[in-house]
Amino acid sequence: MKPLELYRWMVLNRMVEERLVNFYRQSKVVGGLYRSLGQEAISIGTASVLEPQDVVAPLIRNAGVFLMRGYRPRDLFMQYMAKAGSPTGGRDCNTHFGDVQKGVIAPISMLGAMIPVCAGIAWAGREQKKNLVAMTYIGDGGTSTGDFHEGMNLAAVWKLPLVVVGEANQYAYSTPTHSQMAITDLSDRAKAYGMAHATVDGNDVLVVQEAARKAVEYARSGKGPFFLTCETMRMRGHAEHDDARYVPAELFEQWKLKDPLERLKASLKGQEAVLAGIDDEVRELVEAEARIADESPMPDPDFAFGRVFA
Amino acid sequence: MTDVIMPQMGESIAEGTIVKWFKEVGQPVKKDEPLFEMSTDKVDAEIPSPGEGVLLEILVGPGTTVDVGKVVGRIGVAGTAPSGGQQSTVDSRQEKTAPARELVAAAAPARTNSHGVASVEELRRVRSSPLVRKIAAEHGVDLARVGPGTGISGRVTKTDIMAFLEKGPSVQEAPAQAPVTVPARFFHTPTPGQKFEPFSPMREKIAEHMVMSQAISAHVCTFFEVDMTRVARLRSKHRAAYESKGVKLTFTPFVMKAAIDALLEFPILNSSIVDKKVYYHPNVNLGLAVALDWGLIVPVVHKAEEKSLLGLTRSLADLAERARIKKLAPEEVAGGTFTITNPGIYGSLIGTPVINQPQVAILGMGAVTKRAVVTEEDAIAIRHMVYMALSFDHRIIDGATADKFMSRVKATLQEFPESAM
Amino acid sequence: MSSSTTEKPHLGGAEVATGRGVTLLEGVRQALWDELESDPSVYLIGQDIGHFGGAFKVTAGLQEQFGDHRVKDTPISESGMIGAAIGASMLGLKVVVEMQFIDFIACGYNQLVNFAALCRYRWGQGVPIVVRGPCGAGVSGSAFHSQCPEAHFMPTPGLKIAFPATAEDAYGLLRTAIQDPDPVLFLEHKFLYRRVRGDLGGPIPFGQAAVRQRGTDLTIITYGATVHTALEAAAALEGHSVEVVDLRTLVPLDEDTVLDSVRRNNKVIVLHETQRNLGPGAELSARIAEKAFEYLDGPVVRVAAPDSPTPYSPTLEKAWLPGVEQVLHAARELLAY
Repeated sequence: MKPLELYRWMVLNRMVEERLVNFYRQSKVVGGLYRSLGQEAISIGTASVLEPQDVVAPLIRNAGVFLMRGYRPRDLFMQYMAKAGSPTGGRDCNTHFGDVQKGVIAPISMLGAMIPVCAGIAWAGREQKKNLVAMTYIGDGGTSTGDFHEGMNLAAVWKLPLVVVGEANQYAYSTPTHSQMAITDLSDRAKAYGMAHATVDGNDVLVVQEAARKAVEYARSGKGPFFLTCETMRMRGHAEHDDARYVPAELFEQWKLKDPLERLKASLKGQEAVLAGIDDEVRELVEAEARIADESPMPDPDFAFGRVFA
Repeated sequence: MTDVIMPQMGESIAEGTIVKWFKEVGQPVKKDEPLFEMSTDKVDAEIPSPGEGVLLEILVGPGTTVDVGKVVGRIGVAGTAPSGGQQSTVDSRQEKTAPARELVAAAAPARTNSHGVASVEELRRVRSSPLVRKIAAEHGVDLARVGPGTGISGRVTKTDIMAFLEKGPSVQEAPAQAPVTVPARFFHTPTPGQKFEPFSPMREKIAEHMVMSQAISAHVCTFFEVDMTRVARLRSKHRAAYESKGVKLTFTPFVMKAAIDALLEFPILNSSIVDKKVYYHPNVNLGLAVALDWGLIVPVVHKAEEKSLLGLTRSLADLAERARIKKLAPEEVAGGTFTITNPGIYGSLIGTPVINQPQVAILGMGAVTKRAVVTEEDAIAIRHMVYMALSFDHRIIDGATADKFMSRVKATLQEFPESAM
Repeated sequence: MSSSTTEKPHLGGAEVATGRGVTLLEGVRQALWDELESDPSVYLIGQDIGHFGGAFKVTAGLQEQFGDHRVKDTPISESGMIGAAIGASMLGLKVVVEMQFIDFIACGYNQLVNFAALCRYRWGQGVPIVVRGPCGAGVSGSAFHSQCPEAHFMPTPGLKIAFPATAEDAYGLLRTAIQDPDPVLFLEHKFLYRRVRGDLGGPIPFGQAAVRQRGTDLTIITYGATVHTALEAAAALEGHSVEVVDLRTLVPLDEDTVLDSVRRNNKVIVLHETQRNLGPGAELSARIAEKAFEYLDGPVVRVAAPDSPTPYSPTLEKAWLPGVEQVLHAARELLAY
């Protein structure tokens, strides 16, 4: 995907989240709001290399992945605002939605759980000869779970076409990485499973895209799963209700200089007018989508019931 | 040492309340000297000392109710120690500090234990189970009348209540308007294989009607003695003439005629009560109880006040005959405003009839017998005499009215006008 | 490969020939065989289930017949196995996951309860998987190889639970489970594996209890191994007519059959092997109290294991298990109530 295209997705990702902050502050987001500020390059860079038959399981900091897989901004808005027209009709929150037809699997809150599930998808895809790759994400904290281990190991033993993207964003809620693990490179985890791996700058979308392309190719070729560590920084609290005062201010300052959107902009010198045009187009789109979502109704109480079984 | 026990004052009495002790502990007591006063719902009585000596201890104080047979005190030689602790022989759970009287027949919920909570055993007896309670409610059965059952703690089981219903539950039941819980001990527990016969529908209706009547009316009965000598004479004189018209002349038509006249004079006896209002009936529809081999029926002579003695005699004969051959029309047993019953034909001298609801009075006549009677002239004469009883509903009829009514009946019979023949 | 069930020699054909029928274990195996054979989307995964044939030999011969793609060994990863089955189901596979002993499902609880069961409600995605395995006590398995875990899972919305008592049901219910569009926890009592025999029929629908014995004085509601306990106790209660209801599936629960029996017989015992506290008996008692209160002629009585782990020694285990004696004691008390 060309840099200008990547730029548009990155801007869309950021503007959608900024609009959500507005809704959150108006109490229109009824639950927590989880940002991917500073991490957008990972969602956009990795999802940009997926093929239509591929299946991805995004987590809460992967709003950009939903957008790239065909969800509209209004879907995210309505989902956070618990509207009737949201993908889950108000039954579940934030990014807990999906559609196998779109190749998107809804996450559950328990970290690590998506890895065995995506291993299963990769396995089924291989059995069905669909030439697909399954991709999911995990934060540095999430790699401490049992499911991470079981899923990684299973995928490695079965040589499944699975790509796990490790987002090393320094903090798991308030816990810094050094309190989470005794290693400094998440990719060391992959070594234990005999799994191919790489560690890259997660704030450079072009680097992420290239690394993801290689990882996906590797997995698709039948050599087995790939673990791609993207080093980054969570630039907000765990959610909007968390002011992240436990993060040293200098750490934020330091990483602010590496903002993925600004870096991409800087690499597109001479095209400022084009970028400004993209900004305007996306801003207009987001506002129009926000209006639609805002004006849409809340679900009928009856929708609380039923569809527990087929 | 002699135990002083709570005496049984009447066979249905199960408990008594101490009103007061006439002696204090330590005072000498003579045998048969009044020792304490007790009270039941039937009697108040001074109880004489069962022995002689000193009142050693009082185990049940005034105001306390205990079961019959319980030791309430001890009498012995001065200085003797009681055999046990102060309360040792009295089961404290049996004691009830109660108002002096407690109706035996009052609704008897589960007795409470010392904690004030019904025991499991008692709850089982009274509450049984949801199923049994539902069946009981559907059939209007008071569970206390079914039990004790064959279940745990004497619980009425499904089998028990189904057997009870098969025997005919409704006739054993108190009317719905006045539910009365009767302790199970007043009911017979059938022995295995004991012969029984289910109630006929008529028996069911009679039973229900009689119990209902007793429950809803304030029955009072007044008795009169009537000299029927004149009526007997008129009867002998006109018997042949009546027989030639196809009817047998008995004493009853005379009584009917006398009652009709009295009812017209005292219309309150020819009325019904509805919602604290007295409804006077425009006609005298005279009911006549007819005994049948299989029960009892009360055909009605409608507009009896319009009939002559002959007409009354004909109606009586006709209705009684058709009652015995089951040929009465429904309307001929409905709409009665006053009833006459004549158990005298079976030899009864006097009885206390039950009011035929929704009427307010019923006249019963005994057997007409020849008796030696002291006349106005202080002579002893042989007269045809009869006792008559009027049961009336004291809710609206007071004794004076009832007695005036009966005096009028008596006067009519004793001076029966031959012109009415 | 033959197309007819009865011609498969490895499924105890000799026993069929002798008229003794097949064991419950063979019923399970036959169901797996028939599903693998008739539906190419059916897969089995589990620990040691391939060439080895599983700890109880339930899957013996299946890998040889259907290949190591369809019958696949896994690492010791209960959560990983169930998670993989969930993911595969989303692409259309029907994966049957074997827990070597069902006690280990605790290690896969999150995937089964939080993921598989809730998907349909949350975002409309069905998760047709089956998690099956041997459960139950009576073989000196001690605390971690004897559990009946149904009570842990009954409250989970979206998860079905089957617990067969006969070979015929094991076969029929498992076939239904595999074709069911929702996740199913399938419990096979290991004590019954080779102790009960029967002739196999067809698939058996969920939510239809079987009245194993008609009666009029007392109803025993149960499922799984204790169905046989109940029948034995019923036979010993001379002079009393006892009805035995086998629920077959706990979710969905055949409330109609339960309530119908209670309304007819008015006295009811709920019997199960799992512990008493908040076991299925608690839910059944509550439903009976709610919906058939006026029909009860005695308290709803539970007979269940005590609220303690399964002990190891045979003498301790026998004392711990709710057996015929406990049922007889409870039944006599209730009949006399």
